[in-house]
Amino acid sequence: MALVTVSDLSRHFDGKPVVHQVSFELNEGKTIALIGPNGAGKTTTLRTMAGLLNPTSGSVKFSGMNAGEDIRPYIGYLPQYPAFYEWMSGLEFLVYSGQLAHLTKDEATKRALELLKKVGILDAKDRRIGKYSGGMKQRLGIAQAIIHQPKLLILDEPVSSLDPIGRREVLTLMDELKKDMTILFSTHILSDADEISDELLLLNKGEIVESGSLAELRNNYQTAKLELSIEGDLSTFQAAVSQLDCIEECYIEKDMLHVLAHDIDTARSQIIQMVASKNWSLTHFSVNRASLEDMFMKVVNS
Amino acid sequence: MQWTTLFKKELLENWRNKKWIWFPLVMILIAIMDPLTTYYMPLIIDAVGGMPEGTVFELPEFTPTDVIMMSLGQYSIIGVIVIALISMGTIAGERKSGVSELILVKPVSYKNYILSKWASLNVLVWFAACLGLFASWYYVNILFGELSFLALLQIIFFYGLWLTFVLSLSIFYNALLKSPGLILFATIATIVTMSIVTQIFSHVLSWSPNKLSSHIIEMLQTDQIGSALWGAAVITVALSIGLIISAIYIFRKKEMAA
Repeated sequence: MALVTVSDLSRHFDGKPVVHQVSFELNEGKTIALIGPNGAGKTTTLRTMAGLLNPTSGSVKFSGMNAGEDIRPYIGYLPQYPAFYEWMSGLEFLVYSGQLAHLTKDEATKRALELLKKVGILDAKDRRIGKYSGGMKQRLGIAQAIIHQPKLLILDEPVSSLDPIGRREVLTLMDELKKDMTILFSTHILSDADEISDELLLLNKGEIVESGSLAELRNNYQTAKLELSIEGDLSTFQAAVSQLDCIEECYIEKDMLHVLAHDIDTARSQIIQMVASKNWSLTHFSVNRASLEDMFMKVVNS
Repeated sequence: MQWTTLFKKELLENWRNKKWIWFPLVMILIAIMDPLTTYYMPLIIDAVGGMPEGTVFELPEFTPTDVIMMSLGQYSIIGVIVIALISMGTIAGERKSGVSELILVKPVSYKNYILSKWASLNVLVWFAACLGLFASWYYVNILFGELSFLALLQIIFFYGLWLTFVLSLSIFYNALLKSPGLILFATIATIVTMSIVTQIFSHVLSWSPNKLSSHIIEMLQTDQIGSALWGAAVITVALSIGLIISAIYIFRKKEMAA
């Protein structure tokens, strides 16, 4: 079921469309990655959904909610560069956030301590936020975003600014949170999207260029790449392989013959037959499925 | 409930960043500067070398009313600037740092947000003004003669309204603008403009907030609260309320991330 329906959402800055007629649905309980190159409009889309920006046109609707109702109680939001009251301690900030979301002081304190433990900064609860490291701030940011148990958690580039250890920790944390809420996060690090998301939204130049589950997208954009290295003059092999009708493209790079094909199985068997029949001395043969990155480049460049 | 949370946070913030210490001290200093320097002027002149021999220099005699009004005169200039300074970033600073993005994405009522800022600064400013004027009144009584305690309370009440107006103006610009420096400038520029306009059209604008001080002098001299003072007080309160309502309205329309 769709938790959020975004229809024809546009947002212009100084007359220029940064997000243009974007429509998509977020299904309840799913983790959705919004991916796209820098400047694609990811942050603007997320901020508009969180109510921090007003759409130029179009709408964001939550299921079971009346038009005009305040959507903020149902949303948790972490901006790309979260800023806190540096003079507060981590615990104070969480309790404050919780109280603002209409928890009582006791409830907020209880929940804050749970979350500090969950995100792994319980030891630093009484330290001033000004003294926190980047990774600790990011984790505190996630904690404050979920203190009121929102239905939708919006994270803007949650791991981009972290070192590998911090990144791993935040990804693990997100993986845990998946069970309890719908998560929409933006990233330009494709392997992160690949790792934890169920669905992908590809945004480029303010428009959704592709969307779907990971498996669907893989299917649609499945181009396998076969890599061969053969003893002898590669260009003669290239000429021969190019004759096959299942081949899309064939080129030589770094002493290897790279062959792109839609239908991997056919391509593989035809090439192996050819190698066998012509008695080429094959030294290396591998099949690589297209990575998310290849797909991304293909979509963005098309 | 939410209002209390926001209000307490403001008080705590002003406590942690020591505003509760330095701002009252500054206000006391500003208030007692003139009573003390005026009284000790002959000594000061002597200490810096004195007058050439034969100079006849009559220092005017000051009444207690004159001297406490000097304190108000200093508040109207330096005091206003300091108040504009402590309030210039109260909302704009949070927007600039980005922390308001975290706060206002929570179900926070914009009315509560603005009112908590306004109320907490009012508490601070009134507290500091009370201390400062009390200190001034104390020295006036010791050095220049008697001024009743009731008169002090009346001065604090009416002059405090003017300070509340200055704060309301600053909060209004805070809702409108994003740069603290610009807010400081706009607040002071508005007050200067108002003061010039009030002076030029003095005869018709006797209820202007800028006239509160001169009406307070009359009150001290005649020992009664004139209708012009009440008028100016009512106008000042009304303008302050108007500014805060506009601030809430503007803030509601504003995009927090733009």
